[in-house]
Amino acid sequence: MATKTTATKKPFDFWIFITILILLSMGIVMLFSASAPAAYTYKNDIYHFLKDQLLFAFVGFIAMFVAMNFHYKKLAKLAPILLVICMVLLILVLVPSIGYEANNARRWLRIGRFTVQPSEMAKLALILFLSSSLSRRKDQLQYFFRGLLPYLVVIGMVAGLIVVEPHLSATIIILIVSSIILFCAGAKIRHFVIMAVPAVAGLGIVVAMNEYMQKRLFSFINPWSDLKGDGWQAVQSLYAIGSGGLFGRGLGKSLQKFLYIPEPYNDFIFSILAEELGFIGVVTVMLLFLVLVWRGVKVAMNAPDTFGCLVAVGITSLITVQVLLNIAVVTSSIPPTGVSLPFFSSGGTSLLFFMTEIGILLNISKYSKYERI
Amino acid sequence: MSKPGMQTKKRLLVLLGAYTFLTFLLIIRVGWIQFVQGSELQRLAYEQQSRSRIISPRRGTIYDRNGIALAVSASVDTISAFPKELQDSGADLEAVAEKLAELLDMSKEEVLAKISKNSPYEYIKRKVEPEVGAKVRAWLQEAKIVGITVDEDTKRYYPKRNLASHVLGCVGTDNQGLEGIEKAMEQYLKGLPGRILSEVDAKGRQIPFNRERHIDPQDGYNVVLTIDETIQYLAEKAIEKAIVDNKVLKGAVAIVMDPNNGEVLAMASKPDFDPNSPFRPLHIDDATWNSMSMEERENAIYSTWRNKALADTYEPGSTFKAITASAGLEEGVITPESRVNDFTVTVGGHRINCWKPNAHGEESFAQGLQMSCNPVFVRVAQDLGIDRFYKYMRAFGFYDKTGIELPEADIIIHKRPTEIDMAVASFGQRFKVTPLHMVTAYCAIANGGTLIRPHLVKEITDNEGNVIKKFEPEIVRQVISKKTSDTMRKLLQDVVTLGTGSRAYVPGYRVAGKTGTSETETSDIDGRYVASFMAFAPADNPRIVVLVALDHPDVYPHTGGIIAAPVAGKLVEDILSYLQEERVYTEKDRKKLAEDVYVPDVRGKTLKEAESILREAGFEYRIEGDATNKDITVKEQTPKPETAIPRKSTIVLYTYKPDENDMVVVPDLLNKTVDEAVAILKGLGLNIKVNGEGRAYRQNYQQGSRIPRGGLVEVFFMDPDEADLE
Ligand SMILES: [Zn+2]
Repeated sequence: MATKTTATKKPFDFWIFITILILLSMGIVMLFSASAPAAYTYKNDIYHFLKDQLLFAFVGFIAMFVAMNFHYKKLAKLAPILLVICMVLLILVLVPSIGYEANNARRWLRIGRFTVQPSEMAKLALILFLSSSLSRRKDQLQYFFRGLLPYLVVIGMVAGLIVVEPHLSATIIILIVSSIILFCAGAKIRHFVIMAVPAVAGLGIVVAMNEYMQKRLFSFINPWSDLKGDGWQAVQSLYAIGSGGLFGRGLGKSLQKFLYIPEPYNDFIFSILAEELGFIGVVTVMLLFLVLVWRGVKVAMNAPDTFGCLVAVGITSLITVQVLLNIAVVTSSIPPTGVSLPFFSSGGTSLLFFMTEIGILLNISKYSKYERI
Repeated sequence: MSKPGMQTKKRLLVLLGAYTFLTFLLIIRVGWIQFVQGSELQRLAYEQQSRSRIISPRRGTIYDRNGIALAVSASVDTISAFPKELQDSGADLEAVAEKLAELLDMSKEEVLAKISKNSPYEYIKRKVEPEVGAKVRAWLQEAKIVGITVDEDTKRYYPKRNLASHVLGCVGTDNQGLEGIEKAMEQYLKGLPGRILSEVDAKGRQIPFNRERHIDPQDGYNVVLTIDETIQYLAEKAIEKAIVDNKVLKGAVAIVMDPNNGEVLAMASKPDFDPNSPFRPLHIDDATWNSMSMEERENAIYSTWRNKALADTYEPGSTFKAITASAGLEEGVITPESRVNDFTVTVGGHRINCWKPNAHGEESFAQGLQMSCNPVFVRVAQDLGIDRFYKYMRAFGFYDKTGIELPEADIIIHKRPTEIDMAVASFGQRFKVTPLHMVTAYCAIANGGTLIRPHLVKEITDNEGNVIKKFEPEIVRQVISKKTSDTMRKLLQDVVTLGTGSRAYVPGYRVAGKTGTSETETSDIDGRYVASFMAFAPADNPRIVVLVALDHPDVYPHTGGIIAAPVAGKLVEDILSYLQEERVYTEKDRKKLAEDVYVPDVRGKTLKEAESILREAGFEYRIEGDATNKDITVKEQTPKPETAIPRKSTIVLYTYKPDENDMVVVPDLLNKTVDEAVAILKGLGLNIKVNGEGRAYRQNYQQGSRIPRGGLVEVFFMDPDEADLE
């Protein structure tokens, strides 16, 4: 950090800021609409989920502003420590007396009345660690054992701790985002191909041996075959999207949110959006996310250094991959897995981290350089 | 730190391209779901999101001809459960069952069983009073119970209970017509059901803020009957009394029809039922009912539902002679004055005699009808021949259904009649028609010769009183000429005035009629007779045709002339006086009426005053108690004031309150002559009212009853041969 950069300090990327403001506003409105019936039924307070989301959005804004003004280069040094802290927390989560268990999974740590997911933090920590390390050792990447393998080991360790929680979707996201960072850092395509072969084979074996996974796979292929069981969510989601049409039923007018879709304020909030705002609303939201991708990639391109570049692409990808996976799941385009929709789904920890990540991205954008060196 | 190189930037562009591509792929995917699969998905979604409830339409009212409501629909509530929803809500089923049981007057176990079921929908109790429904609604709201609903429903009420029950019929639990006019006029009465469409959440609860869509039900139309409630009431009371008086075992029928337009004014059939609870026959007591098997109960229910006026057939017997006579007069084979005789006639080896032993001998045809001589009518039929005789049978409508709105029994009648068939048919035997057939044929005889289709429905109206449809009288055909009809009216009036129908005589009302007694050949009981009387009045301008038929009277004598004619006569009298028909008395009527006087009220008066009142009125009297002091007041008198008694009766005056010692035991007067009966009763200090001539066959107080001294005993006499009258 001591070295002076050639980049001059500029205002942050206004596109990203505005896009996030719009997405978050839409997200909060949709969350209120989607959660009201369930909130009323189970909590006897239609504002129950809205209140939490507003609180975390507020805290998230503070975090975003702090991160925006925190020089990202300092993160490079903090990265290894953050990663170690995350690993410790991920191990703690697995300890029965400490980790908070819900739905047969230990993913949470309790802090007061709130729960936090260390896996959310781990995603960021891993992005920072990989970016920081790769920015220094980029040239080694062409060697498999010397270059790539150590990273695979670190990624594997983090992914391993999360997959045993179990938290399959977070594991998948970490693997994809890590691969993207490695790819952008210049890992050899050949190595990806070599890794893909055992990965696909491994996945095949896991699916063949795991009845639970097979069921989910089958219910994905024909959700109507098991309407009251595994197919229920998928079918209800399709009903919601299909009911939307071009203009939707109108804001607040979803019928599927009335307990047909379980927890419509979580992973399936996009279906409610599609039902209430129609195809127009869907395209608007997806184009807004695309603006974010475009600006994020631009920040990465114009980053003054490799660390900033990789962090920017890592953060952009983290958000984009989750958006794509979420929409693919709710449209029954891929087998179901629990991925939330950034800035829309309820969930304090993830919103806090997304806002922090946007703050980092905005901070990097301040140092954009346009001249090629 | 190194700077991002060219390779990194290229790969970033690849990544941007991939993200963009995937985003558009998913946009297309959403578009596919929304536009290609959209309508089908929306339909499936709507199926689960909406619940439609039927609102029953209000069934039309059934009125009598004067606008008196005979069948009305009242709003009630139906309580039902969505058991799964109730169970999912986590409500305490025991507590819910207990409260509902209390509100609905049911057993807790019964309610609990229904709400614990694994079914989507369950009736708890149907058709409860609106007050009860309101209580349940209030409780549901207060206790925040979901999964139990109170829906509006309608219930059929018959305010006149069993009055005209066979005409009205009844409805089932879904208010669908099961019997009678309720069934026949279903298309007009039922209306169109409406629907409530509401959107519900996954637990089946109505979604707040979403409007229910109401499709209003269309109320049914009202049916206005030709029945006159008062005449119906008179007819029912008449046969109810006749059933008791004559120990009638198989029920009775009375039909009253307007001969000029075919409107049925009354149609009474017994036993009957209360359409408010059609599945519990009225004439069976609780103990018997509880001891009956399901099958026996079913039979009992269906037998009470049976409208004997048109669902049962009977042999018309001698009432049919009017049809034979009409045919003979129309065809000119006979005139009222023709000399005939009633000596035995032999047809195909069967000997047919007059009911009177030794026969009446030579007489006019009019007398033959008055005396109901069978051989006279066999000869008329023979003179007509099979073709012409049966042509008239057909013309009078006996080979067809009458065409009334209700289902009619199949008639049992000769397909290829032989000489003997015709011979017995001439006096109404060995074929079966419905009572309504006979009434319809008599209407033609009475109205100038036109056969008119009988009908029960006058018009269909809506709730604003507009007439939707009017049912006009429907002329079937001209059967006999006006001239023949006129002759028949006179002949049949003479049957009542001079002949076997005398017990149907009503002073001033010119009753015409014919007796009928027939043994039912298919009967499982020996000696099962149908005693009937066909009447119409006034004979010169008939307003009503009346049939009274008693099925299996368990008395002797059991002939139509003796037991059915008085019932029909009394009924004609009651109806015509209700219709304010003016009485035209003959000289003989006046003399006969003058024989009866009304007892004055002398109670509370002194003996002196009482004696002068009674003497002035021409009564004989006797004083019981202290007669020396003429200032003592009369404590009691028999007969009671306002009783009509023969002029020569003796009034008994008591100066004290009469007690047991003043009671007289009524003797058995059976087979006594008029003079003997008068002597016996006078001797006991009783008064007598003589009805008819000949030998006593009935008395109003049974032998052994105790009545006060001076009481009036009514005794009925007949010619002993009359017991054999057919
Ligand atoms: Zn004779």
